[in-house]
Formats: sequence, structure tokens, C-alpha cells
Amino acid sequence: MMERFALCLKNLGRHGWRTRVILLITALGAFLSFMSENIIEDIAKKQSDMFARASVGHFRILDAKIETANTFGYYSYEPDEMLTPAEIISVKNFLSGLTEVTGAQERIVFSGLCYGEGDQEDGIQGFAMDMDNYNRNFTDLYYAKGEPIHHGDENACAASWYEFEKNKTVKVGSQYVFLLPNRNGEFVDRFITVKGGIDFRTMPKDSMGFNGMFFDLDGFRSAVGYDEAVASEVVGFLKDTRDLDRVMPKIDAFLAANHPNLKAVTWREYAPIMSEIVFGFDAMMKTVETILILICVLLVFKLTTFSIIERYSEIGTMRAIGFSRSDITMQFALEGFLVIAAGSLLGGLAGAGLIAFLGKTGIVNTMIFFQFIIGNGFTPTFHPDKIAAIAAIFGAVAIFAPLLPSIRGGRVSILDSLEKR
Amino acid sequence: MAQEKNGIKIRGLRKEYKLGSTVVTALNGIDLDIGGGSFLCVAGPSGSGKTTLLNMIGLVDLPTSGVVNVAGVDVQAMNDKLSTRYRSQMLGFIFQTFNLLPVLSVYENIRLPLILHNDLTKEEKHDRVMDFAKAVGLESHLAHKPAELSGGQRQRVAIARALVTHPIIVLADEPTANLDSVTGNEVLELMEEINATRGTTFIFSSHDPSIMHRAKRVVRLRDGHIEVE
Repeated sequence: MMERFALCLKNLGRHGWRTRVILLITALGAFLSFMSENIIEDIAKKQSDMFARASVGHFRILDAKIETANTFGYYSYEPDEMLTPAEIISVKNFLSGLTEVTGAQERIVFSGLCYGEGDQEDGIQGFAMDMDNYNRNFTDLYYAKGEPIHHGDENACAASWYEFEKNKTVKVGSQYVFLLPNRNGEFVDRFITVKGGIDFRTMPKDSMGFNGMFFDLDGFRSAVGYDEAVASEVVGFLKDTRDLDRVMPKIDAFLAANHPNLKAVTWREYAPIMSEIVFGFDAMMKTVETILILICVLLVFKLTTFSIIERYSEIGTMRAIGFSRSDITMQFALEGFLVIAAGSLLGGLAGAGLIAFLGKTGIVNTMIFFQFIIGNGFTPTFHPDKIAAIAAIFGAVAIFAPLLPSIRGGRVSILDSLEKR
Repeated sequence: MAQEKNGIKIRGLRKEYKLGSTVVTALNGIDLDIGGGSFLCVAGPSGSGKTTLLNMIGLVDLPTSGVVNVAGVDVQAMNDKLSTRYRSQMLGFIFQTFNLLPVLSVYENIRLPLILHNDLTKEEKHDRVMDFAKAVGLESHLAHKPAELSGGQRQRVAIARALVTHPIIVLADEPTANLDSVTGNEVLELMEEINATRGTTFIFSSHDPSIMHRAKRVVRLRDGHIEVE
């Protein structure tokens, strides 16, 4: 076998530039595949970390009539579309039994107005939720400034948009007039103290700095006049966003059986642009990978065919001295395999080297647009399943691309090839 | 006994080629017995059927009809696997144009057929290559590529390659045609020496009278017939 291997290497050497071109294209394809497959996985994980714990929530269970698509979770609804206390308990009990779900709680999501300095009017998005529990295995919000809001606090909120250089809305510690919806959807005015300033741990506040105001759920209900413990939604978070496809059918089945008036939606539905950007990036990279792989296949096919034409008489000589058809096929197939295997290995090693390097330095992002995708950056890691998939794809290409012309080479007539000399 | 055991018996060998609508008869009912250890020249002008006859014996081509029996075996009845083994173990080929692999050195070219001989150890293969490289006088050129050799040296490599598997028959199609007369004679002397010392059957074709008279036996072909022996 080693002798045949050595013969392959010598033959590859004679096809000089063609071998090098294939090697280069394959290496490039393997490098891009290695990088993109691993990094896409890291981006998906980063998105999971960002969105699964951001206040927009990961999945929400709410009335089926509420339009949520493309709302980024700031939907509007009628008062009679809120979840009843019984529905809330039932849904939360169900979610608590799902191992993939880290936490769930009911919230009232609403729109309101805030009157700031000089009676400047600003629209707000409000979230009334259990403020004692929000930062425990639930969201990544944290008090960056001021005082925390506690259970039962009335007429107080924490603002995610505070003291920004631009569009300054509220100051932590100050009191403002807010127009807030009551149980019937009518707006009532309240003096609200902005006790704390809230940030996200994982999401860049420059890009995610919406004017959200966070109230304690019971305090809000009491302040604006709720006579029952209703909520506009139950929001739940997953340990890993990528479990979504596995978890959502379970939730859908539960709702269909027990609460047909409710539906479950995910951030992929009410903030689809986020996943679409990742999907688009993934699709673009996969297209490039596919084109490179196809070029590899075509080049190897061509190289093997050219090799057979160039070495046509050698096939006859080798057959005459005792090489079988399968020996000849194996010879050419092995040559093609070696080029692709070597190119794949080179590309894979280059990709692994770059990922290892970036794994130490991290990828820092300062561009606003990409903050929606990767936040302030992420640290690439190796994903064995992706690496195995890439190895399998390039292994298949290495085996099958040169096979057909090699088989044709093995079938060359001894007499024809000797006479062609 | 050995002569019969390794002998070749050809009966009614006929080969027709179609060239468009014309049928060309290359061999027209050849009957021939070649004993083991022969040093036989198949002579005749171009187109007389010399190469076709060698191709039939070497299973490079199949006859239209007739039988080629080598060492008691009807070689035409062999399937591809058996005929490959037959060529590998019983035959050696020497070509007019040497047919060496240009990327391989002298050593590697001689060793090439031994790739298929898994029954030999690495050391045995090496020893065989060295034996034949020495026999053809190329032991000091082992690292050279064919392009770095003269025509005579290339043909010597081809002879060593043909012999390294210890075949019982060596088929040589005009082995001296591309060589000058001095070199051609040297190559022929080498073949004679191997025939004499190892008992290997040599069947070679030529239309050069100076080559023919070196053979122990000459079979003259004309228009696909044996004209005279």
C-alpha cells in the first residue's frame, strides 16, 4: 500500500499546477466551512444567551387573537384578551415540568406615556413583572444604578433608558408623570419615581436601549387598579435557544389540549429579523461553501480525467505488466482522494488555528448593526459535531469526486492505450 | 519436459479487425508450437501480423477464433481477473518505445510490477530489483529518471522490469527498433544471456535481418500467415 501511495504522490507531482489549484480551492472550502460552521454555532449560542434572557423574552403564551408578528414583543391587546388567574397557574405549572425551561412568570406588557422635563412627552413600553425574581435565573436585567424595585412597590419603576447622552428620557431618582393603562385599558395618570436604572448583561444597551420601564407586577396592579391577578402573557425562557424546535411542539400540544384560546409565540416570530440575519449569514456562508465544494468536485473530476488522458498509454503498460482494472481505478481514485484530503486537512487546520487564536482573544464587535446579532462580541469555540460533519462532507467529496473518471480509467482497453502511445 | 510444461501451443489463431466497412485479417489461421526456453523471433514486414500475434499471446488482445495455450492453459478462456494474474505472474513485456513511467526512477520502474506481488517481502523485492539492475548494468543509475537515460539504457530498464517477476515468457515487440545498431545488439545480447542463464522464453518481433539471425528460431509472417520457419 505504501508503494502505491508513493506512486500517487509522484503522479500528483507531475500534474503540478492543477494539483496545487485543487489543493488551494479545497483548502479554502474546508477553511471557510470549518470557520463558518463553528462560528455560526457560536453566534446561535450567543443569540441564545442574548435573547433567551433579554426582556423581549424567548417565548410567550398569550391570547391567540393577539397579533405579535414583527412587534418585537410590544404588542397591543384588548383587556378581555388577558390571561385569567386559572390560565396563568395552569400554564406555569405545565412549564415548570419542562426541563428545558429555566423559568416562567406572568407579565403585563403595555404601552404608556411619560412626561419628562419641560413636559416633554415620550412613549414608553412597560413591563409589569415579579421584580424580586426577575434577576434570578430568569432575565439578564440588572440594576446598574439606583435602588431595586421590590415586590409590592407602587408608583415606582426601573428604567432601561436612563441618562443617555442622546434622547435622555428619565433620571434615576426623579419623579415623573406617567400615563398607564388600567384593567379596562383606560389611561390613568400616576406620579412614578424612577428608582433604578436597568441594563442588560448580555445585550448591548446602545442598540437595545429601548425606553422600557419595569414595574413590580403586584405594585402595578394595585397602582392602576386591577381587581384580579390577570396578565397579558406568561413569558418563559429556555436554557438554550436551540432547544426551541423540540420544546415548542410540547407547549403547542399542551395549549391545544387545555387552552385552545391561547398560543405560544417565540422571539423568532415577534422579532424575526434577528434570526433572519443569522439565517441569511448562514445561508450565504453555506452557498459559498457549496460553490467551493462543487468547484472542488469538478476540478478533481477534471484532474482525474486529464490524468487519464495524459497517462493513457501508461495505463496500458501497467495493465500489461499485471495491474488489474481495479488497481488502475484505485490508483487514480487515491490520487484524487489525496489531493482533497490534503486540501481539507490544510483548510481545517488553518480554520482550527484561527478559531483557537480567536478563542483566546475573543471577537469584539463595536458596530451597531452587528450588535443585534452578536452583541458586543463573542468567543469562538470548537464544536465537535460540526467538525465531524465537515470531515464527513469533505471525506465524501474526496472519495466520490474522483471515482467515476477513475473507474473509466480502469476500463481503458490495454490494446487501445498501448497503440495510443 | 520443462519445454512442454512452459510451452505455448497456438492453433487456428485468427484475428480480424473492422476498419469502417472493411474487414482486415491480421492473423489468418496461425498454428505454432513454442517450447519453453525458446529464443524466437517473429519476423515479417510491417502489417504482417507480428504485433498482433504477440498481443494474442500476451492477452493484450483477443482472437476472433483459435486457441492460445500456455503451459497447458487456454489463456483466451480466462476471465479478466485470471488474465491479469497471468500477465502479472507468467509474462514480461518489453515494448518498442520502452514504456517506462517517467515519474519513477530506474529503481522504481524496475520495482513497479512487484507492487502486485504481496507474497514477497520488502527485502526480497529489493534484492530482486538489485539483481536485475545489476544484470542489465544499471546498478549505478538507480536514482535516474528515464529522461536522464539513453535509449539503450531505457530498454535495459524495461528488460529488467519485464524480468523482475521471474516470468516464464517475455514478449518483446521490436525491442531494438528505436535503438542504434550497436545498442540494439547490446540489448539483444542481454536477452540472449538471460535466456541462456535463466531459461526464460523470449518471443520478440523484428523486421531487421541482423536481429533475426540472432534468434534460435525465426517464424516469418506475411499477410497473417506463417510464410516460412
